[in-house]
Amino acid sequence: MSADGNPALEAIALRRDLPGDPPATLVADASLSIERGSFTTIIGPSGCGKSSLLYMLGLIDRPTGGTLLVEGRDVSGMDGDARAQLRLERFGFVFQFHFLLPEFSALENVMLPIRRLGRLAPADGKARAMDLLRATGLDGKEHKTPDRLSGGERQRVAIARALANDPALILGDEPTGNLDSHNSQRVVELLKALAHEEGRAVVCVTHDLSIADASDVRISMLDGRVRSIERGKGNSAP
Amino acid sequence: MTLGNPALLLHIALRHLTARRRQTLVAVLGVAVGVGFFLAVSAMMVGSQNDFISKLIDAAPHIIISDELRSPPEQPGLRAFSEGAVELRGYKRRTEVRGIRGWPAIIATADALPGAISSPSLSGGITLKLGGHDEALTIIGVEPELESQISSIDDYLREGRLHNLETTQGGIIIGEEMATRLGVRMGDVVAATSAAGNSRSLRIVGLFKRGQSQLGSTTGYVLLREAQSLLGRPFIINRIGIRLSDPYAAETIASGLEQRFGYKAESWQERSADFLSLLVTRNVIMYSVVSAILLVASFGIYTVVSNSVSDKRRDIAIMRSIGFSQADLQLIFVAEGLILAIIGVLFGWALGYGLMTILGSLDFPIAGETQHIPLDRSPRQYAIAAAASLTAGVVAAWLPARKAARVDPVDILRGAI
Repeated sequence: MSADGNPALEAIALRRDLPGDPPATLVADASLSIERGSFTTIIGPSGCGKSSLLYMLGLIDRPTGGTLLVEGRDVSGMDGDARAQLRLERFGFVFQFHFLLPEFSALENVMLPIRRLGRLAPADGKARAMDLLRATGLDGKEHKTPDRLSGGERQRVAIARALANDPALILGDEPTGNLDSHNSQRVVELLKALAHEEGRAVVCVTHDLSIADASDVRISMLDGRVRSIERGKGNSAP
Repeated sequence: MTLGNPALLLHIALRHLTARRRQTLVAVLGVAVGVGFFLAVSAMMVGSQNDFISKLIDAAPHIIISDELRSPPEQPGLRAFSEGAVELRGYKRRTEVRGIRGWPAIIATADALPGAISSPSLSGGITLKLGGHDEALTIIGVEPELESQISSIDDYLREGRLHNLETTQGGIIIGEEMATRLGVRMGDVVAATSAAGNSRSLRIVGLFKRGQSQLGSTTGYVLLREAQSLLGRPFIINRIGIRLSDPYAAETIASGLEQRFGYKAESWQERSADFLSLLVTRNVIMYSVVSAILLVASFGIYTVVSNSVSDKRRDIAIMRSIGFSQADLQLIFVAEGLILAIIGVLFGWALGYGLMTILGSLDFPIAGETQHIPLDRSPRQYAIAAAASLTAGVVAAWLPARKAARVDPVDILRGAI
């Protein structure tokens, strides 16, 4: 599953049009490659298409043109169920808002992807979820429902949930957008560690230039097009 | 189609429902009331119908063969030239001797049917006299041993039993009204005269209850040989009653017997065709009312699941992004409807059982006797109510659940709060 030479994600001339007259183009001819073990940010002004690109990279939205390879595998022709299965196994998402299920405790939220995948025995799944919550600093809060957690805690639960099935790719849509600088810093450190220490590919859409500066690769977008891809300073990207 | 662990989907559905207790309670109550009243109403309807049919079936033999012919016998001329251009009109029918000819053969045939019992009888008119008072009466001569097996006459007797006819020389059973008119009681003796000119003294050994329309107030029972000698028709019978193990086979068997022996064989269905068509109408009315109740109950389920889907659009998008399939989402919301329906059915069963117990305990005085509402408490009604509610619940939940499966996560994940 790893180190087979393929990049984690490869987009070739990815395109997303909205039907209409005339059709609106959200993303045009986006070609890029995301490596394992790297922390990539996508930046650009509001409405430049960065989130649209992220959702296509995460198999949540379907491109209207171009090719997308996930770990070397062309996913263009996959049906909805196959894409859902791939999301379940290989992707983890963190959104601007925590997006936890409100009726479920932190632990149950983290266990959700594990139970859906169904590869671990219930006791093992629970142990894994507890480990993830501990790793994200949520010891002792496993049984709290989201409304009894702080904003930073919720986002960390969301990250723990994104990691539940040990994904190769973590995608974030403004994961720090709703956090104060302290919590924001903590989340970024966590995401960076996931890339550098655990070898996952982390891609985040952000407005926050300080996060972009901390990233290994910075993709700038404007008007639906990729304007530049810059390698950042001081990083361990291969 | 890929589906997650059913326990997980069920868990999510249950959480959604427990998070909105009030709506859940209302929907469950809707189903419960629908099921409960369905059970109570259908128990009464089916119960009274069964009671009615069993009265129809059992008041008289399932098949009655009488000494009548449905159409006159074919003329010999027509029989001889069946292909020829022969037409006969205005001829006089041969006078047949009343009575069933060759009846022992018919009885033997009927008795050969599995579980069938047949009883021969002879009826005719006589006059009862007491002092200067006359009353016309149709007497039916029966073999009590056989007759009591094919009809439930004993149930209609206020006093005495059918077997008293055998134990008392010259015994007769008449209706209470007739006895009142004649001013006689059990054990009294009345004089009987027939058109054949025979007279005899008969002793009252039994009285029918009032208001038995099946028997009529001008019918009396005597022993078969008593009737034969009183009416001056020894060894003759004019009616054979047959009881079958399966009353619903009566129609077929009757037409078979009629074809074979020529005498009119009337099944209970034929005798009561008008009542039976009435029952069909009743059933149509009942089931339309009941389906309306269940339909309304399913609106409750629709509302809850539909609200749940709109409230949970965000959660749906989250689950889709995690990797739940469309079928997963659809199943979660169908499960919500099914859970509501199942809980509703369980409460409805309890409610229906309670209502039936109350209805069953009510006393109604009819014709001087305490009667209870006939109720059908068979599990069949419970099963029908459950099947109808569960189906309605699944359909009602399935419509909004389809919407849930179609939620496009992109818009919600990007724009929602």
